[in-house]
Amino acid sequence: MKCFIGIDLGSTTTKAVVMDERRTVLGRGITNSRSNYDTAAAIAKQEALLAARFVLFRKELEKGRALNGGLEAFIGQLERDFRLEQYLEQLADLAQVCERNVKFGDASSAVSAALRTLFTELQGQAAALFAPGARRKSDFFRDIAGAQYLALGERVAKDAGVRYDQLLNVFDRSIIEVENRVYDASIKTHLLAALERTYRALPDTLRHKERISAPIQAVLDTEMAEAYVVGTGYGRARLPFSKEHIRSEILCHGLGAHVMYPNTATVLDIGGQDTKAIQIDQQGIVESFQMNDRCAAGCGRYLGYIADEMNMGLHELGPLAMKATKNVRINSTCTVFAGAELRDRLALGEKREDIMAGLHRAIILRAMSILARSGGIRNEFTFTGGVAKNEAAVKSLTGLVRDNYGEMTLNINPDSIYTGALGAATFAWRAVMEEGRSIEHKEKVAA
Amino acid sequence: MTYTVGIDIGSGAVKTVLFNDNQWLAKRVERIRRRDPMELARQGFDEVRQEKNLAEKDISYIATTGEGENVKFATGHFYSMTTHARGGVFLNPEARAVVDIGALNGRAIYIDERGKVLSYKMTSQCASGSGQFLENIARYLGTAVEEIGPLSRTSKNPEKVSSICAVLAETDVINMVSRGIATPDILKGIHISMASRLVKLLKVTGITKGTVLLTGGLALDVGLLAALQEELVNEKISGLTATSHPDSIYAGAIGAALWGAYRHNKLRELQARIAA
Repeated sequence: MKCFIGIDLGSTTTKAVVMDERRTVLGRGITNSRSNYDTAAAIAKQEALLAARFVLFRKELEKGRALNGGLEAFIGQLERDFRLEQYLEQLADLAQVCERNVKFGDASSAVSAALRTLFTELQGQAAALFAPGARRKSDFFRDIAGAQYLALGERVAKDAGVRYDQLLNVFDRSIIEVENRVYDASIKTHLLAALERTYRALPDTLRHKERISAPIQAVLDTEMAEAYVVGTGYGRARLPFSKEHIRSEILCHGLGAHVMYPNTATVLDIGGQDTKAIQIDQQGIVESFQMNDRCAAGCGRYLGYIADEMNMGLHELGPLAMKATKNVRINSTCTVFAGAELRDRLALGEKREDIMAGLHRAIILRAMSILARSGGIRNEFTFTGGVAKNEAAVKSLTGLVRDNYGEMTLNINPDSIYTGALGAATFAWRAVMEEGRSIEHKEKVAA
Repeated sequence: MTYTVGIDIGSGAVKTVLFNDNQWLAKRVERIRRRDPMELARQGFDEVRQEKNLAEKDISYIATTGEGENVKFATGHFYSMTTHARGGVFLNPEARAVVDIGALNGRAIYIDERGKVLSYKMTSQCASGSGQFLENIARYLGTAVEEIGPLSRTSKNPEKVSSICAVLAETDVINMVSRGIATPDILKGIHISMASRLVKLLKVTGITKGTVLLTGGLALDVGLLAALQEELVNEKISGLTATSHPDSIYAGAIGAALWGAYRHNKLRELQARIAA
């Protein structure tokens, strides 16, 4: 089947969206951008294609009716088993790389022995990480494995009589190599191995093994041909595509918001490193835009910096600010100055929640001025980007929009982080279905 | 004999000096690191005093500057422009301009031979190019702060950096590193960007010739000093020579202590005249 893929290479995360010929979104994938954009793009794409396969599994299994009522449980189990397989492969890889990176002279053999113990324990605990209902803070290998490694490492180091920081040093040196590997080839084997695990976990389903395995195998055998790929985002210039395959993030965001909410006229995107205000027409084409660039004040990083200053998690800021009872005005523009102001105000006895609400208001006020410069807010108004998940920011925005522009329909999509990638995928679809283009790679163009 | 103490509370560190008239007796510098600056001021005051076995009542004037308005035990407060100017001339009598780079702000002060402020210009609104900014960059590069200057001096191909946000610098630096740019070239590029900002400030003050003394926490960064010297040549302001002083970080505190003594003596004269 033909797939149309959009990749949005952001400064912190890379997103991909896969679309079919009918412009239905089949799958979405996300990964951390690391320092290697090629890998990030490849992995995000792979994740999106994988998600697309799962969508197809579900569809085929639904048709076959072999799992009457048990479909959700089965798919959920299969997904967890697949992640486990994937995790185990990466863990084994990490173990090897770590072994190679042990360079501590006389202490080396002791550190190596400690590492072997540590990895045996890590492997033993792997299944629990992916058990039903298990909560993971992040789905990225670096984060999962890192957290486990740190947690177990301290005791293992003590037992083995090696220094904890030696183990940490080995991890830091090895993780980059492992996380920059694309395990493209093993996806199918992992899926089949995961299927076996799932049968063991849900023995009732074994009765219909044939009727379940056949459609899954059929989906696996279906080639998901990349009909066209379009890249966008902060790192788009570094994607391995020819320039025919690259669109600006403004265009993609405008179109993506239009695809999500066809009545959108104004889009506000507050991402990690920039804030964009975009005006689009009824076809999703950009009429004008404004953005704040290279300054953290007014973008997501502002809240990230404040969270670090307060020793809090980024997701805890919004809920805290919601408890505010008083309006505090933050006078500083610059993020660093706001951090200093925050400390001053705490020292003066202002309440944390009130200051937090003031900080959220400050970032939204910056966005309001960017919106005003782009031509104001028109109905409907779509808010995207990571900050759209923050309830205190949304509350501030809703109030300010009502005060300045009157009642508006405010759209916020839970998948708004994929807006740029969705726009890019739509561009890919148009290139083939409306303009009759075919994929061309940079190498080919160069030759 | 007039003992005075000058306390300069910055956003990054608290500097304290003890003077006997024009004679410098003791000094302390303490990085704030999220502690209470008021307590550090007290601590610095007690330490310089005790070093010379002086009791609190022996100190004629306790002068604060910088963000020290609220120090409870102080006798008086002086604006940091005047204290940096006075301290600058004390450290280097040739200085006709003081360029001060603190943790959050940078400023250029044009002064006469007595340390009187003729004009000044300050950065505001943005921490790009500040001490905090350089410290963040060093952290992302895994470089100790003391190594920044010497590393920057070894750069062959400085990477051009437009002024970058102190907070977003992390990703910018990661980008540079991933493009294979060597640490010295990144640091030098940043020094050049900072220097060009400082030269712009200097130009606005109207100074055309004389010695420019670098003060504040970054005054000992030889890479920044070199970049500033080069930038003055590039901008064809050949009448200015940039220099630094090992005790540059104390300039504000020194100025405060000296102004404190001056004000103390004036008051005493006045009282004597009234009595007579």
